[in-house]
Amino acid sequence: METKIVSKRFHIPESYKLEVAKKHGVYGSLEKLFTMTPDEVITAVEKSNLRGKGGGGASCGQKWRYMPLDDPRPAYLIVNADESEPGTFKDREVMDRDPHLLIEGIICSAYAMNIHTAYIYIRGEYKWIADRLNVAIDEAYEAGIIGETLMNGACDFKLDIVVHRGAGAYICGEKSALIESLEGKRGHPRLKPHQKECEWYFGNPATVNNVETIASVPHIVEHGYEAYTQYGTKKSPGTMLFALSGPVKTPGVYELAFGHKMIDVINTLGGGMKEGKKLKAVIPGGVSCPILTKDEVEKAVLDYESMWDIGSTLGTGGMVIIDEDACMVEVAKNIIEFYHHESCGQCTPCREGTGWIDKILHKVINQQGSIDDIQNISDVCGTLNGKTICVFAPAVADIIGSIVVKFRDEFETYILKNQGAENE
Amino acid sequence: MSDMVNIVIDGKEVEAVKGAVLIDYLFKEEIDIPHFCYHPALGTDGNCRMCMVEIEGSKRPQISCDTPVKEGMVVRTKGENIEQVRRDILELELINHPVDCPTCDQAGECKLQDYYMAGGFYESRLEAESKNRAKKAVDLGKSVMLDQERCVLCTRCTRFTDEITHTNELGIFSRADHSVITTFPGKELESDYSMNIVDLCPVGALTSKDFRFNQRVWFLESFEAICSGCSKGCSIHVDHKKEKYKDDQIFRFKPRENHEVNGYFICDEGRLSYKDENENRISDALINQKVVSTKEAIQNIGNLLASNQEDTLLLVSPFLSNEELAMFKAYANDNGISLSGYAPQYHDESFADEMLRTADRSPNRAGMNALGINEEEKDFNELLAQKKIVLIVENTYFEDKPELLDGKEVILLGSKETCVASHANIVLPIASFLEKDGSYTNIDGVTQHIKTTMRKNAPAGTLLSLWKEIREEA
Repeated sequence: METKIVSKRFHIPESYKLEVAKKHGVYGSLEKLFTMTPDEVITAVEKSNLRGKGGGGASCGQKWRYMPLDDPRPAYLIVNADESEPGTFKDREVMDRDPHLLIEGIICSAYAMNIHTAYIYIRGEYKWIADRLNVAIDEAYEAGIIGETLMNGACDFKLDIVVHRGAGAYICGEKSALIESLEGKRGHPRLKPHQKECEWYFGNPATVNNVETIASVPHIVEHGYEAYTQYGTKKSPGTMLFALSGPVKTPGVYELAFGHKMIDVINTLGGGMKEGKKLKAVIPGGVSCPILTKDEVEKAVLDYESMWDIGSTLGTGGMVIIDEDACMVEVAKNIIEFYHHESCGQCTPCREGTGWIDKILHKVINQQGSIDDIQNISDVCGTLNGKTICVFAPAVADIIGSIVVKFRDEFETYILKNQGAENE
Repeated sequence: MSDMVNIVIDGKEVEAVKGAVLIDYLFKEEIDIPHFCYHPALGTDGNCRMCMVEIEGSKRPQISCDTPVKEGMVVRTKGENIEQVRRDILELELINHPVDCPTCDQAGECKLQDYYMAGGFYESRLEAESKNRAKKAVDLGKSVMLDQERCVLCTRCTRFTDEITHTNELGIFSRADHSVITTFPGKELESDYSMNIVDLCPVGALTSKDFRFNQRVWFLESFEAICSGCSKGCSIHVDHKKEKYKDDQIFRFKPRENHEVNGYFICDEGRLSYKDENENRISDALINQKVVSTKEAIQNIGNLLASNQEDTLLLVSPFLSNEELAMFKAYANDNGISLSGYAPQYHDESFADEMLRTADRSPNRAGMNALGINEEEKDFNELLAQKKIVLIVENTYFEDKPELLDGKEVILLGSKETCVASHANIVLPIASFLEKDGSYTNIDGVTQHIKTTMRKNAPAGTLLSLWKEIREEA
C-alpha cells in the first residue's frame, strides 16, 4: 500500500548520518541537477504538479515562478519546519530520520530559483531535531556539498543553509507570520497581497515551502516528473506522508500515493481500531479542517479534490482518529483551548472569538450550558469565517463549526443531561 | 498625473485615483464607515476588521482600508448583510470590554460607543463575570495613562511610536484575548509627541494624565485656533467651558488636521501650553500699582500718549495678530512714534526638532516681518536710551531685566504678569491670545485665522477694542 519516495530511507538505521545516507543514494539527484538549467528544474516541478504539503496544497512550481527573475536583491528560500498542527507529525520524521534528503531538496530548489541562502525555520520545541539538522548541515559543509560551491566545485553555486528555531507559536507556521518572526518581529500574519507574488523577507524576494514539499523535489529532479506523476490521481499526483494518530493499533507516519480510501488506510496501515472500539469520527488533515463522521470516512478518498468534494480538506494529511468513547463536547473543548491559546491576537474576530468559544464550551463542560450556547458557537464561527487576515480563524470555524453541526445531538444531550442533574 | 478610474459607492459614481485606498473615498463621501485601526497618518494595518464593505464580484466582504480602487468597482456600505457583518465584529470588540463608560474620559468621543449606538443595540451574550480582566491604570510615562481593559488593540499607538516618532516605546505583549499594549521593560513614553497617542486611541484606553477626570467632553465648547508655542503655529482645537459662577476656562488643546502646517499632530509642550492661557494673568488695571477702573487707566494712557508722541517707544510683540500689528504700525506712522518689534527672548534653539517644533517660540514673527516692523537690537537699544515713555504691548522682553526700565514712564498693555506688570506705571489688562480673533502667519508663510468662542468675564476687552478707546481719549 505504501509508496516510498520521501520516506525511502526512514527504515535504515542511522540514516541521518551522511555516510549511511550516501550509501543509500542521498544527493543522487545533484549530478542530473547540474546538467539542467534552473528553468528546466522549475518546469519539471511544475509538470510534476507537486503540491504544497503544509496544508494549502498549492502548486509548488507556480509558487516558484512568482520569484522575480534578474532581480538585483538577494533571494531567500525559507523552509517551513514549524510543524505545530495538532495531529501532524510528518516533517519531524523527515528531519529526524533523513535530514540530508531535506538538504538535497534545498539544493535543488535553491538552484532552481537562484537562491544562495536558505533558512530552515523549525519550531522551537523540536530542539533535538534542530540539533540533528545542524549536525547534518555541518557534515554537508565539511564534505563540500554546500558552501562556496556545490559538491566540491561540481557546480559553481554558493549556498548557505541556516537553521532558525522559533519561539513556540503555532501561528508562525503561517508563512507571512513565519517571515515576520524570522525578521525578529512578533509573529503576526501579514495582509494578503492583491496580486500573486512571492513573499518578502526584509524586502527581498523569498519563497516559503514546507519540509515535505522540498524533500519531494530531489525525486522529481532525479527521475523526471513522470516518475512522480505515475503515482496518485491526475490532479493530485505523487505521494504524501500521512500521519495516523488516535486509538488505532499502529499509529504512525505512512507515505501513500494520493487516491487511497481513508477507511482502508485506517484499517490496514493503522491496523484498525484498538480494543475493538467503533470508529466515530476522523479529523482528516490536522485539526484545522472540518471533521468527518463515520459515514463520511467510509466515503473519503485521500486526495485534495475528493476531500473538497465531501466538504473537508486534505490539509497536512494528519488524521486524528476518534472512537466511540470520545465525548465530542470534550473534543471541541480540547481543540478550542489550543486555538484560544495560539491565536496571535492581531485581528479582532480571531482574538476575541476563539476566547469566547472557549468560554462557552468551558461553561458547558462545567454543567452551566444552555441550548442557546450551541447557536452562540455557530454564530461566532460564522464571524470567524472569511473575515480575518489569515486562515487561522476560518480553520477554527471549520473544525468547531463542523463538530457542533455534525454532532449537535451530542451537545444537546450533554447540556440537557446536566441541566437535569442540576434540577434534581 | 495618476490614472483616474470610476467607481460606484452606494449607488453614487465617484472618480478616484487608481490603486488608492477605498476607505479614503468613503471618508470623502462622508460615509461614516466604522474603523479603529486605519488612520490616514499611519496607513493600513487591517487588524480591526470593522471597515468591511461589499464589493460586487467579491465572494466575501472586504476591508475597505486594504482595498485598492479599481475601474468599475461597485461598493456597498449599507444593507442588512454587510451591516450584520460589522455588527458581529463589533460584538466581538465589546465581548471583553469593561463597558465602564460612566467613569471613562473617552465617553462622548468614543468610537466603540458611536458604532454601538449607530448599529449595535444588542444585549451582551457574555456574562460580565467571565470577561477577561487586565490592568486598569498603567502609567506609561509623564503624560499618558493606559487602561488595558478598554483597549481594542488597533495598534495605532504602537505604530505611532514605531513609524512617526521612531521611539519604539510601545509593544503588544501576550497573545489572543490576553494581548495587551504596554511599554517595553525599562522604557516609558519619552517622545515629545507622545500625547498624540491619546488622540489616536479610538477608545478610552489611552488617556491624558493632564485631562483625565477633569471634564466631561460633551460639556466642552470648541473652536479652531493655532498653538502659540512656536512659529510653526500648529492648527488646534481649543476645548473650553464656562462653568457656572466661574470664568471661561480652557481644558485642553487637540491637534487639528492641517496638511499645510502640522499634518495630524502637535507636540506635547504645545498641547499643554493651554495652561499659560489660564495662568499668570493680569486681572486689574493699575496706576502706580494701585487698582483703578479700566476707564481711568484708558484715560491716563490716552492723555500720556497724546502729549508725548515724539518721546514714546512703542514695543510690540510677535505674539500679536496681523491685524493688531497693522494697527500699531499705522498708528506709529501717522503719529511719528518709534516702533519696535524687538523680541529676542522667544528664541530657543533647544526647542527646535525635526518634526514640528521651531526655535522661534512666538507665533507671528513672519507676520511682523511682513509688515516691516523693525526688530533690530541696535535700533531698539538706541530708541530705549532716547525715549522717556515705553509703551509695551504683550512683550516679555523686560521680564528678567526690569532695571532697563528704571527712570522711564512705562505703560503696559498685556495679558500676563510676565510682561513686567510690577514695573509699569500704568497697566491695562487685555484679552489673551485665544480670547480674541485674529490672523497669524507661521514660519512657512501660512496665514491662519482664529475666531474665538471664549467669553471671559475679565479682562474688559481685546487689544483692538481697548486701543480704540485709548485713541478716542487722546
